[in-house]
Amino acid sequence: MKFLCVSCDEPMKLEKTESPQQGTLSAMFECPECFTQIAMLTNPSETQMVQSLGVKIGPGGADSAAKCPFSGALPQMEGAAPSEEGPRWTREALSRLENIPDFVRPMAKQGIEHYAESQGCPIINEAVLEEARGKFGM
Amino acid sequence: MILERSGSIMKSYFDIEGDGGSDVIAQVEAQQEAVREALSGVRNLVAVGSGKGGVGKSTVTMGLAQALKGRGASVAILDADFNGPCQAHLAGLDAHPWIPSPQGLAVPRRQDGIGVVSMGSLVPASQPVSFSTVSHGDEHVWRSTKEFAVLGQLLSSMAWGSLDFLLFDLPPGAERTVQYADFLPSGVSFVLVTVPSDISRSVVARSVSALAGTSAQMLGYVENMAGYFCRDCGEIKPLFPSSGTKLDLPLLGRVPFDPELASLCDSGWPERRDEAHKAVEAIHVVAENLLQALEAQE
Repeated sequence: MKFLCVSCDEPMKLEKTESPQQGTLSAMFECPECFTQIAMLTNPSETQMVQSLGVKIGPGGADSAAKCPFSGALPQMEGAAPSEEGPRWTREALSRLENIPDFVRPMAKQGIEHYAESQGCPIINEAVLEEARGKFGM
Repeated sequence: MILERSGSIMKSYFDIEGDGGSDVIAQVEAQQEAVREALSGVRNLVAVGSGKGGVGKSTVTMGLAQALKGRGASVAILDADFNGPCQAHLAGLDAHPWIPSPQGLAVPRRQDGIGVVSMGSLVPASQPVSFSTVSHGDEHVWRSTKEFAVLGQLLSSMAWGSLDFLLFDLPPGAERTVQYADFLPSGVSFVLVTVPSDISRSVVARSVSALAGTSAQMLGYVENMAGYFCRDCGEIKPLFPSSGTKLDLPLLGRVPFDPELASLCDSGWPERRDEAHKAVEAIHVVAENLLQALEAQE
Protein backbone atom coordinates (compact mmCIF):
# COMPACT_ATOMS: atom_id res chain seq x y z
CA MET A 1 0.00 0.00 0.00
CA LYS A 2 1.35 3.41 -0.97
CA PHE A 3 0.08 6.93 -0.39
CA LEU A 4 0.26 9.71 -2.93
CA CYS A 5 -0.14 13.41 -2.25
CA VAL A 6 -2.65 14.36 -4.90
CA SER A 7 -1.71 18.07 -4.85
CA CYS A 8 2.02 17.44 -5.37
CA ASP A 9 1.85 14.05 -7.13
CA GLU A 10 4.56 12.95 -4.70
CA PRO A 11 4.66 9.70 -2.73
CA MET A 12 4.10 10.30 0.96
CA LYS A 13 6.61 9.11 3.52
CA LEU A 14 5.81 7.14 6.64
CA GLU A 15 6.72 9.34 9.58
CA LYS A 16 5.70 7.24 12.57
CA THR A 17 3.45 4.48 13.74
CA GLU A 18 1.62 4.05 16.99
CA SER A 19 -0.48 1.24 18.42
CA PRO A 20 -2.97 3.21 20.53
CA GLN A 21 -5.49 0.57 21.58
CA GLN A 22 -6.92 -2.89 21.11
CA GLY A 23 -4.86 -3.96 18.15
CA THR A 24 -5.38 -0.82 16.11
CA LEU A 25 -2.50 0.87 14.34
CA SER A 26 -2.06 4.54 13.47
CA ALA A 27 0.43 5.25 10.71
CA MET A 28 1.21 8.87 9.92
CA PHE A 29 2.39 9.84 6.44
CA GLU A 30 3.73 13.16 5.26
CA CYS A 31 4.22 14.66 1.82
CA PRO A 32 7.89 15.67 1.47
CA GLU A 33 6.90 18.60 -0.77
CA CYS A 34 3.98 20.35 0.94
CA PHE A 35 4.26 18.61 4.34
CA THR A 36 0.61 17.68 4.32
CA GLN A 37 0.06 14.93 6.85
CA ILE A 38 -2.46 12.13 6.82
CA ALA A 39 -2.99 9.20 9.14
CA MET A 40 -3.96 5.70 8.15
CA LEU A 41 -5.90 4.00 10.92
CA THR A 42 -6.25 0.24 10.76
CA ASN A 43 -8.71 -1.92 12.59
CA PRO A 44 -7.44 -4.98 14.53
CA SER A 45 -8.19 -7.33 11.65
CA GLU A 46 -6.16 -5.23 9.21
CA THR A 47 -3.33 -4.89 11.71
CA GLN A 48 -3.26 -8.63 12.25
CA MET A 49 -3.20 -9.36 8.52
CA VAL A 50 -0.01 -7.34 8.09
CA GLN A 51 1.54 -8.74 11.27
CA SER A 52 0.83 -12.22 9.95
CA LEU A 53 3.30 -11.61 7.15
CA GLY A 54 6.02 -11.54 9.80
CA VAL A 55 7.19 -8.09 8.76
CA LYS A 56 8.11 -5.06 10.81
CA ILE A 57 5.93 -2.00 10.51
CA GLY A 58 7.28 1.48 10.92
CA PRO A 59 9.72 3.92 9.33
CA GLY A 60 12.57 1.71 8.16
CA GLY A 61 10.74 -1.27 9.56
CA ALA A 62 11.93 -0.16 12.98
CA ASP A 63 8.91 -0.96 15.09
CA SER A 64 8.74 -4.70 15.26
CA ALA A 65 5.24 -6.03 14.89
CA ALA A 66 6.37 -9.57 15.67
CA LYS A 67 5.27 -11.06 18.94
CA CYS A 68 5.33 -14.61 20.15
CA PRO A 69 2.33 -16.13 18.41
CA PHE A 70 2.49 -19.21 20.56
CA SER A 71 2.48 -17.32 23.81
CA GLY A 72 -1.03 -18.53 24.45
CA ALA A 73 0.31 -22.06 24.72
CA LEU A 74 3.04 -21.19 27.19
CA PRO A 75 1.11 -21.53 30.45
CA GLN A 76 0.09 -25.03 29.43
CA MET A 77 3.60 -26.21 28.57
CA GLU A 78 4.60 -29.42 30.28
CA GLY A 79 6.44 -28.97 33.52
CA ALA A 80 6.44 -25.94 35.72
CA ALA A 81 7.97 -22.71 34.55
CA PRO A 82 11.47 -22.19 35.92
CA SER A 83 11.37 -20.54 39.27
CA GLU A 84 12.48 -16.96 39.70
CA GLU A 85 15.60 -18.37 41.31
CA GLY A 86 16.12 -20.46 38.16
CA PRO A 87 19.28 -20.46 36.07
CA ARG A 88 20.72 -17.16 34.96
CA TRP A 89 21.78 -16.52 31.38
CA THR A 90 25.12 -15.07 30.38
CA ARG A 91 25.07 -12.32 27.77
CA GLU A 92 26.73 -14.60 25.19
CA ALA A 93 24.19 -17.38 25.71
CA LEU A 94 21.35 -14.88 25.51
CA SER A 95 22.70 -13.52 22.25
CA ARG A 96 22.55 -17.03 20.83
CA LEU A 97 18.86 -17.04 21.61
CA GLU A 98 18.57 -14.36 18.93
CA ASN A 99 19.14 -17.19 16.45
CA ILE A 100 15.76 -18.56 17.42
CA PRO A 101 12.69 -17.12 15.68
CA ASP A 102 10.65 -14.79 17.88
CA PHE A 103 7.63 -17.02 17.89
CA VAL A 104 9.35 -20.02 19.48
CA ARG A 105 12.00 -18.20 21.53
CA PRO A 106 10.08 -18.24 24.84
CA MET A 107 9.39 -21.96 24.55
CA ALA A 108 12.95 -22.78 23.51
CA LYS A 109 14.30 -20.66 26.37
CA GLN A 110 12.07 -22.44 28.82
CA GLY A 111 13.17 -25.85 27.51
CA ILE A 112 16.85 -24.95 27.93
CA GLU A 113 16.19 -23.65 31.45
CA HIS A 114 14.51 -26.93 32.35
CA TYR A 115 17.53 -28.78 30.99
CA ALA A 116 19.96 -26.60 32.95
CA GLU A 117 17.95 -27.08 36.14
CA SER A 118 17.89 -30.84 35.62
CA GLN A 119 21.68 -30.75 35.30
CA GLY A 120 22.07 -28.55 38.36
CA CYS A 121 23.53 -25.68 36.30
CA PRO A 122 22.84 -22.32 38.00
CA ILE A 123 24.20 -20.40 35.00
CA ILE A 124 23.43 -20.94 31.33
CA ASN A 125 26.45 -20.07 29.27
CA GLU A 126 27.64 -21.14 25.84
CA ALA A 127 29.30 -24.21 27.33
CA VAL A 128 25.96 -25.36 28.75
CA LEU A 129 24.31 -24.84 25.36
CA GLU A 130 27.07 -26.85 23.66
CA GLU A 131 26.75 -29.57 26.28
CA ALA A 132 22.99 -29.72 25.67
CA ARG A 133 23.53 -29.92 21.92
CA GLY A 134 25.92 -32.82 22.43
CA LYS A 135 23.62 -34.57 24.85
CA PHE A 136 20.70 -34.33 22.45
CA GLY A 137 22.77 -35.38 19.46
CA MET A 138 22.51 -32.03 17.72
CA MET B 1 -9.00 3.86 -15.31
CA ILE B 2 -6.15 6.36 -14.95
CA LEU B 3 -6.80 9.08 -12.40
CA GLU B 4 -5.95 12.60 -13.39
CA ARG B 5 -5.09 15.68 -11.37
CA SER B 6 -5.37 19.14 -12.82
CA GLY B 7 -5.37 17.76 -16.34
CA SER B 8 -2.18 15.66 -15.94
CA ILE B 9 -1.93 11.97 -15.17
CA MET B 10 -1.34 11.08 -11.55
CA LYS B 11 1.39 8.68 -10.52
CA SER B 12 0.15 5.14 -10.14
CA TYR B 13 1.36 2.27 -7.92
CA PHE B 14 4.29 1.12 -10.02
CA ASP B 15 5.54 4.66 -10.60
CA ILE B 16 6.55 4.80 -6.93
CA GLU B 17 9.50 2.86 -5.57
CA GLY B 18 9.10 1.32 -2.12
CA ASP B 19 6.07 2.14 -0.02
CA GLY B 20 7.43 5.23 1.67
CA GLY B 21 7.92 3.48 5.00
CA SER B 22 8.08 -0.14 6.09
CA ASP B 23 8.73 -1.48 2.57
CA VAL B 24 6.71 -4.59 3.28
CA ILE B 25 7.31 -6.06 -0.18
CA ALA B 26 11.08 -5.79 0.25
CA GLN B 27 10.82 -7.42 3.68
CA VAL B 28 8.84 -10.33 2.24
CA GLU B 29 11.40 -10.69 -0.55
CA ALA B 30 14.18 -10.65 2.05
CA GLN B 31 12.40 -13.45 3.92
CA GLN B 32 12.26 -15.52 0.73
CA GLU B 33 15.94 -14.88 0.07
CA ALA B 34 16.79 -15.93 3.65
CA VAL B 35 14.94 -19.22 3.07
CA ARG B 36 16.84 -19.83 -0.18
CA GLU B 37 20.12 -19.06 1.58
CA ALA B 38 19.36 -21.37 4.53
CA LEU B 39 18.49 -24.21 2.15
CA SER B 40 21.46 -23.67 -0.15
CA GLY B 41 23.21 -26.75 1.25
CA VAL B 42 20.22 -29.04 0.68
CA ARG B 43 20.44 -31.12 -2.50
CA ASN B 44 16.86 -32.37 -2.69
CA LEU B 45 13.66 -30.86 -1.34
CA VAL B 46 10.86 -33.40 -1.31
CA ALA B 47 7.37 -32.56 -0.08
CA VAL B 48 5.19 -35.45 1.01
CA GLY B 49 1.58 -34.42 0.64
CA SER B 50 -1.76 -35.81 -0.34
CA GLY B 51 -4.74 -33.57 -0.08
CA LYS B 52 -6.49 -36.26 1.96
CA GLY B 53 -5.98 -36.49 5.70
CA GLY B 54 -5.32 -39.68 7.60
CA VAL B 55 -3.61 -41.53 4.77
CA GLY B 56 -0.28 -41.88 6.57
CA LYS B 57 1.75 -38.98 5.17
CA SER B 58 3.75 -38.64 8.37
CA THR B 59 4.46 -42.35 8.66
CA VAL B 60 5.50 -42.55 5.01
CA THR B 61 7.68 -39.45 5.47
CA MET B 62 9.48 -40.93 8.46
CA GLY B 63 9.80 -44.30 6.72
CA LEU B 64 11.23 -42.64 3.63
CA ALA B 65 13.68 -40.67 5.75
CA GLN B 66 14.91 -43.84 7.37
CA ALA B 67 15.14 -45.70 4.06
CA LEU B 68 17.13 -42.85 2.50
CA LYS B 69 19.32 -42.64 5.58
CA GLY B 70 19.96 -46.37 5.24
CA ARG B 71 21.32 -45.68 1.77
CA GLY B 72 23.87 -43.30 3.21
CA ALA B 73 21.99 -40.06 2.63
CA SER B 74 21.86 -37.23 5.17
CA VAL B 75 18.20 -36.54 5.82
CA ALA B 76 16.02 -34.16 7.80
CA ILE B 77 12.27 -33.74 8.09
CA LEU B 78 10.38 -30.52 8.56
CA ASP B 79 6.93 -31.10 9.98
CA ALA B 80 4.95 -28.47 8.08
CA ASP B 81 1.69 -29.52 9.68
CA PHE B 82 1.54 -26.91 12.44
CA ASN B 83 -1.98 -27.87 13.41
CA GLY B 84 -1.29 -31.56 13.81
CA PRO B 85 2.46 -31.89 14.30
CA CYS B 86 3.20 -35.55 14.90
CA GLN B 87 6.74 -36.00 13.59
CA ALA B 88 8.23 -35.18 16.99
CA HIS B 89 6.29 -38.03 18.58
CA LEU B 90 6.97 -40.37 15.68
CA ALA B 91 10.67 -39.56 15.98
CA GLY B 92 10.73 -39.94 19.75
CA LEU B 93 11.58 -36.25 20.13
CA ASP B 94 8.61 -34.99 22.18
CA ALA B 95 9.60 -32.37 24.72
CA HIS B 96 12.99 -32.13 23.04
CA PRO B 97 14.51 -28.68 23.59
CA TRP B 98 15.49 -26.51 20.65
CA ILE B 99 19.00 -25.23 21.19
CA PRO B 100 20.64 -22.29 19.41
CA SER B 101 24.03 -22.90 17.84
CA PRO B 102 26.38 -20.17 16.60
CA GLN B 103 25.05 -20.78 13.06
CA GLY B 104 21.33 -20.85 13.82
CA LEU B 105 18.93 -23.16 15.51
CA ALA B 106 20.44 -26.65 15.80
CA VAL B 107 18.33 -29.32 14.09
CA PRO B 108 17.04 -31.84 16.68
CA ARG B 109 18.17 -35.33 15.71
CA ARG B 110 17.18 -38.89 16.37
CA GLN B 111 19.86 -41.31 17.47
CA ASP B 112 20.05 -42.60 13.90
CA GLY B 113 20.97 -39.07 12.74
CA ILE B 114 17.70 -38.12 11.07
CA GLY B 115 16.94 -34.47 11.81
CA VAL B 116 13.36 -33.70 12.78
CA VAL B 117 11.99 -30.19 13.16
CA SER B 118 8.46 -30.36 14.52
CA MET B 119 6.42 -28.00 16.66
CA GLY B 120 5.44 -31.16 18.48
CA SER B 121 8.79 -30.94 20.30
CA LEU B 122 7.69 -27.68 21.89
CA VAL B 123 3.91 -27.84 22.15
CA PRO B 124 2.37 -30.69 24.14
CA ALA B 125 0.25 -33.05 22.04
CA SER B 126 -2.92 -32.13 23.91
CA GLN B 127 -2.49 -28.40 23.22
CA PRO B 128 -3.47 -26.62 20.02
CA VAL B 129 -0.82 -24.49 18.39
CA SER B 130 -2.22 -21.04 19.03
CA PHE B 131 -0.98 -17.70 17.80
CA SER B 132 -1.35 -14.52 19.77
CA THR B 133 -3.52 -12.01 17.95
CA VAL B 134 -4.86 -8.49 18.17
CA SER B 135 -7.87 -9.55 16.13
CA HIS B 136 -9.93 -12.07 18.02
CA GLY B 137 -12.61 -13.82 16.02
CA ASP B 138 -10.95 -13.20 12.67
CA GLU B 139 -8.52 -16.10 12.74
CA HIS B 140 -9.93 -17.52 9.52
CA VAL B 141 -8.77 -14.35 7.78
CA TRP B 142 -5.09 -14.36 8.73
CA ARG B 143 -4.19 -17.81 10.07
CA SER B 144 -2.95 -19.27 6.80
CA THR B 145 -0.79 -16.19 6.12
CA LYS B 146 0.67 -16.48 9.61
CA GLU B 147 1.48 -20.16 9.21
CA PHE B 148 3.44 -19.54 6.04
CA ALA B 149 5.34 -16.69 7.68
CA VAL B 150 6.18 -19.04 10.55
CA LEU B 151 7.24 -21.74 8.10
CA GLY B 152 9.52 -19.24 6.36
CA GLN B 153 11.07 -18.15 9.66
CA LEU B 154 11.61 -21.75 10.68
CA LEU B 155 13.22 -22.64 7.37
CA SER B 156 15.57 -19.68 7.49
CA SER B 157 16.46 -20.04 11.18
CA MET B 158 17.51 -23.69 11.22
CA ALA B 159 21.17 -24.61 10.74
CA TRP B 160 20.36 -27.21 8.07
CA GLY B 161 23.96 -27.45 6.92
CA SER B 162 24.69 -29.91 4.16
CA LEU B 163 21.83 -32.32 3.51
CA ASP B 164 21.00 -34.78 0.76
CA PHE B 165 17.28 -34.63 1.54
CA LEU B 166 14.93 -32.33 3.35
CA LEU B 167 11.50 -33.92 3.49
CA PHE B 168 8.45 -31.78 4.19
CA ASP B 169 5.55 -33.48 5.92
CA LEU B 170 2.64 -31.42 4.60
CA PRO B 171 -0.77 -30.85 6.20
CA PRO B 172 -3.90 -32.26 4.54
CA GLY B 173 -5.99 -30.32 2.02
CA ALA B 174 -5.62 -30.11 -1.74
CA GLU B 175 -5.61 -26.31 -1.58
CA ARG B 176 -2.96 -26.37 1.14
CA THR B 177 -0.79 -28.65 -0.98
CA VAL B 178 -0.88 -26.09 -3.78
CA GLN B 179 -0.12 -23.26 -1.35
CA TYR B 180 3.01 -25.11 -0.26
CA ALA B 181 3.98 -25.63 -3.90
CA ASP B 182 3.75 -21.86 -4.32
CA PHE B 183 5.59 -21.07 -1.11
CA LEU B 184 8.46 -23.55 -1.08
CA PRO B 185 11.59 -22.72 -3.07
CA SER B 186 11.59 -23.73 -6.71
CA GLY B 187 12.99 -27.20 -7.28
CA VAL B 188 10.85 -28.87 -4.63
CA SER B 189 9.48 -32.24 -5.75
CA PHE B 190 6.21 -33.70 -4.56
CA VAL B 191 5.32 -37.22 -3.53
CA LEU B 192 1.62 -37.78 -2.93
CA VAL B 193 0.23 -40.37 -0.56
CA THR B 194 -3.12 -42.07 -0.91
CA VAL B 195 -4.89 -45.10 0.44
CA PRO B 196 -6.57 -47.43 -2.06
CA SER B 197 -10.10 -46.15 -1.42
CA ASP B 198 -11.99 -44.36 -4.15
CA ILE B 199 -12.58 -41.35 -1.92
CA SER B 200 -8.91 -40.93 -1.12
CA ARG B 201 -7.77 -41.43 -4.70
CA SER B 202 -10.32 -38.88 -5.88
CA VAL B 203 -9.00 -36.29 -3.45
CA VAL B 204 -5.41 -37.03 -4.45
CA ALA B 205 -6.42 -36.79 -8.12
CA ARG B 206 -7.67 -33.29 -7.30
CA SER B 207 -4.30 -32.44 -5.76
CA VAL B 208 -2.54 -33.77 -8.87
CA SER B 209 -4.69 -31.53 -11.09
CA ALA B 210 -4.09 -28.54 -8.85
CA LEU B 211 -0.33 -29.12 -8.67
CA ALA B 212 -0.19 -29.47 -12.44
CA GLY B 213 -1.01 -25.77 -12.59
CA THR B 214 2.15 -24.91 -10.63
CA SER B 215 5.85 -25.28 -11.36
CA ALA B 216 6.13 -28.14 -8.85
CA GLN B 217 7.57 -31.45 -9.98
CA MET B 218 5.53 -34.51 -9.08
CA LEU B 219 7.66 -37.62 -8.67
CA GLY B 220 4.83 -40.06 -8.12
CA TYR B 221 2.49 -41.41 -5.52
CA VAL B 222 2.60 -43.95 -2.73
CA GLU B 223 -0.35 -46.21 -2.06
CA ASN B 224 -0.35 -46.60 1.69
CA MET B 225 -2.42 -49.15 3.60
CA ALA B 226 -2.43 -51.25 0.44
CA GLY B 227 -3.82 -54.27 2.24
CA TYR B 228 -2.83 -55.36 5.72
CA PHE B 229 -0.09 -57.72 6.67
CA CYS B 230 -1.48 -60.66 8.61
CA ARG B 231 1.20 -61.94 10.94
CA ASP B 232 -0.71 -65.18 11.50
CA CYS B 233 -0.64 -66.32 7.91
CA GLY B 234 2.16 -64.05 6.60
CA GLU B 235 -0.02 -62.80 3.79
CA ILE B 236 -1.17 -59.37 2.72
CA LYS B 237 -4.95 -59.19 2.65
CA PRO B 238 -7.12 -56.42 1.14
CA LEU B 239 -8.26 -53.53 3.32
CA PHE B 240 -10.21 -51.51 0.74
CA PRO B 241 -12.19 -52.47 -2.35
CA SER B 242 -10.23 -51.69 -5.50
CA SER B 243 -10.75 -48.19 -6.86
CA GLY B 244 -11.39 -47.20 -10.44
CA THR B 245 -10.00 -43.70 -9.97
CA LYS B 246 -6.86 -43.36 -12.03
CA LEU B 247 -3.99 -41.22 -10.85
CA ASP B 248 -1.97 -39.72 -13.63
CA LEU B 249 1.31 -40.21 -11.80
CA PRO B 250 3.93 -42.95 -11.52
CA LEU B 251 3.31 -45.38 -8.66
CA LEU B 252 6.36 -45.36 -6.39
CA GLY B 253 5.19 -48.29 -4.31
CA ARG B 254 2.46 -49.94 -2.27
CA VAL B 255 2.88 -50.03 1.49
CA PRO B 256 0.79 -52.55 3.42
CA PHE B 257 -0.66 -51.78 6.83
CA ASP B 258 1.18 -53.68 9.52
CA PRO B 259 -0.61 -53.51 12.90
CA GLU B 260 2.63 -54.15 14.78
CA LEU B 261 4.43 -51.34 13.00
CA ALA B 262 1.45 -49.07 13.66
CA SER B 263 1.82 -49.87 17.32
CA LEU B 264 5.56 -49.17 17.17
CA CYS B 265 4.85 -45.80 15.53
CA ASP B 266 2.95 -44.73 18.61
CA SER B 267 6.07 -45.26 20.66
CA GLY B 268 8.43 -43.86 18.03
CA TRP B 269 9.43 -45.18 14.64
CA PRO B 270 12.00 -48.00 15.09
CA GLU B 271 15.59 -46.84 14.68
CA ARG B 272 16.65 -49.82 12.63
CA ARG B 273 15.32 -51.45 9.51
CA ASP B 274 13.40 -54.51 10.51
CA GLU B 275 12.85 -57.00 7.71
CA ALA B 276 9.99 -58.50 9.70
CA HIS B 277 7.93 -55.39 8.95
CA LYS B 278 6.51 -55.70 5.47
CA ALA B 279 5.63 -52.02 5.55
CA VAL B 280 9.27 -51.05 6.18
CA GLU B 281 10.40 -53.30 3.36
CA ALA B 282 7.84 -51.70 1.05
CA ILE B 283 8.98 -48.20 1.96
CA HIS B 284 12.51 -49.17 0.96
CA VAL B 285 11.11 -49.98 -2.48
CA VAL B 286 9.44 -46.54 -2.51
CA ALA B 287 12.77 -44.92 -1.59
CA GLU B 288 14.53 -46.75 -4.42
CA ASN B 289 11.90 -45.63 -6.92
CA LEU B 290 12.04 -42.10 -5.53
CA LEU B 291 15.80 -41.97 -6.09
CA GLN B 292 15.34 -43.21 -9.65
CA ALA B 293 12.65 -40.61 -10.30
CA LEU B 294 14.92 -37.87 -8.98
CA GLU B 295 17.79 -39.12 -11.14
CA ALA B 296 15.55 -39.14 -14.19
CA GLN B 297 14.59 -35.56 -13.38
CA GLU B 298 18.21 -34.35 -13.42
